[in-house]
Amino acid sequence: MMHSDITSRPTYRALEPDLAGSKHLLVIEGETLLTGRLEALTDTFAPVNDKLHTWLVGAPTASSGPGKVWHLEKLVDVLDLFACATRDYGMGDRLYVQGTEPFLWSVTTAASIIGFGPNQVQLHHAGSLRRRVWCTHCHTLTENVTASIVPCAGCGRHLLVRDHFSRRLGAFMGVMIDAEAPGAIPAIEEAFA
Amino acid sequence: MTIAFKPEETFRGDYSYRNSDAAILRFPFPFPEDKYMYSVNIEPHTRSGPSDIFLRPFDVDEHYIAECRDRAITLERDPGRYQALPHMMLAQWDTLELLMENLSADYPALFSLTKEGDDFGSRWTWINRPLGIEQSFIFGDADTLPCEPFEYITRQAQGDFAICDQRDDNLYMDAGMVTAQADWSLEFDVGMSFMEWHGPVPLAHQAGVFERALKYLLMLRLGQPVRRLNWTMSINPRLDTSPETYPEWGPDRASVTPDNAGDKVHLRVELQTLWRLPRSNAILFPIRCYLASLDDLARVPKWGKRLNRVLSTLPPQLVEYKGLTRYLPAALEWLAKHDDGAELPVGTEAGVTTLTPRVSD
Repeated sequence: MMHSDITSRPTYRALEPDLAGSKHLLVIEGETLLTGRLEALTDTFAPVNDKLHTWLVGAPTASSGPGKVWHLEKLVDVLDLFACATRDYGMGDRLYVQGTEPFLWSVTTAASIIGFGPNQVQLHHAGSLRRRVWCTHCHTLTENVTASIVPCAGCGRHLLVRDHFSRRLGAFMGVMIDAEAPGAIPAIEEAFA
Repeated sequence: MTIAFKPEETFRGDYSYRNSDAAILRFPFPFPEDKYMYSVNIEPHTRSGPSDIFLRPFDVDEHYIAECRDRAITLERDPGRYQALPHMMLAQWDTLELLMENLSADYPALFSLTKEGDDFGSRWTWINRPLGIEQSFIFGDADTLPCEPFEYITRQAQGDFAICDQRDDNLYMDAGMVTAQADWSLEFDVGMSFMEWHGPVPLAHQAGVFERALKYLLMLRLGQPVRRLNWTMSINPRLDTSPETYPEWGPDRASVTPDNAGDKVHLRVELQTLWRLPRSNAILFPIRCYLASLDDLARVPKWGKRLNRVLSTLPPQLVEYKGLTRYLPAALEWLAKHDDGAELPVGTEAGVTTLTPRVSD
């Protein structure tokens, strides 16, 4: 994870079961699972194993993991499940998420709608540093951004990807890089691979 | 007291905005010393201060009508400049009441408020003479106004407004009317906590400024508003320097030369006040913007000289953050001609009652 002096930049943590929780849900973005990670999580979550469900998103279907394991194909399936789950979760429940930053915040936002507050959620960043970028000018979201400057998927302007982050949008701010001197675009770096 | 409004002036296009001599003399010049650095410069918002603008809690000046029109133009182009999260309705009514009561008490020739009672359910009648508005409505019933109460009253006020909800020992920016901002996006920031929306500000976090300020604001009391001045620079007298429209005004920064800097470069001062709201316990945060060109400011010799010194010693991180990098050398070349190096008294007062002639005259 990258460090930033900008205080809107979230910080992430290692996942640890909160023993005070009643039900536990672990949501993992499959592409961020390195060899041995599921085994390590199984050890870590052993104390709550019988109250734990694990949603593996886009992971090889052979993988087993801690608690009762469910395989989901895509992020959108997670969001759909939350949207349908208005009755089943309460204040005592705990959510743990591992994934890239856009994944973490999409899941957090969907969970917050059914009542998961910040104190019930733990986020662990893993895998690519790629970002979701919000265009300040046309408000379009550009996904999977790994470069320091990216053309906006909406208006096409070249956006400098800043560290300023909105949890509500799950996105970083993008600001036109050459507004003051049209066409003067600095070298583009692969900053968030 | 009569105010000679300038209803035709503009803050875009031909930029016909101008300050009268009286407006220059009451400008809230923000630099008491020759150097500037961030501090927790919060003080009680009493009806007194080094400029006339402090005499009334919500200052109305000669630009009132034109500023309200500019806001309407910006909202027409981008309705997202007004946002209020659903739980903020009580704070909306608090804000409407605060503004209507203060404006009608301080400017009886311009505004009047007639109430059949103080509580929700009472019929109120609001008259705004400069804008030609008369509106009868039921206080607490949003359906009796043409739009939400916060939008309604802030369309008739100068300056931007944010409302911060207080919970979990923090402040959350959960509503705003923001059409005259110094390069921050309400659409991006709405719902953020105090530390988050101040995230991009350099140096001040490390100095602990925001922690102390937040602690102070959480204790803010009803009837005891506080204030601070903030500042930046703008090219042309443009209110809408939002990130949304940066592609429109960004190129102006490349247009400044030592010859035109006096006209083009403006000091942009924000009178930021903070008010505890009575029913919602939220905090209203009005940000009232004053614009003066270098040419205006140099007509007060103390201000022209001091601005030269402040800007030439500004930490590089602040030059970058405030977006001055491209034109600061040209502005300083212009200002240096107005600074003889004489020692200046501490304080922001103009120290004169008449202005020197305009450089461009």
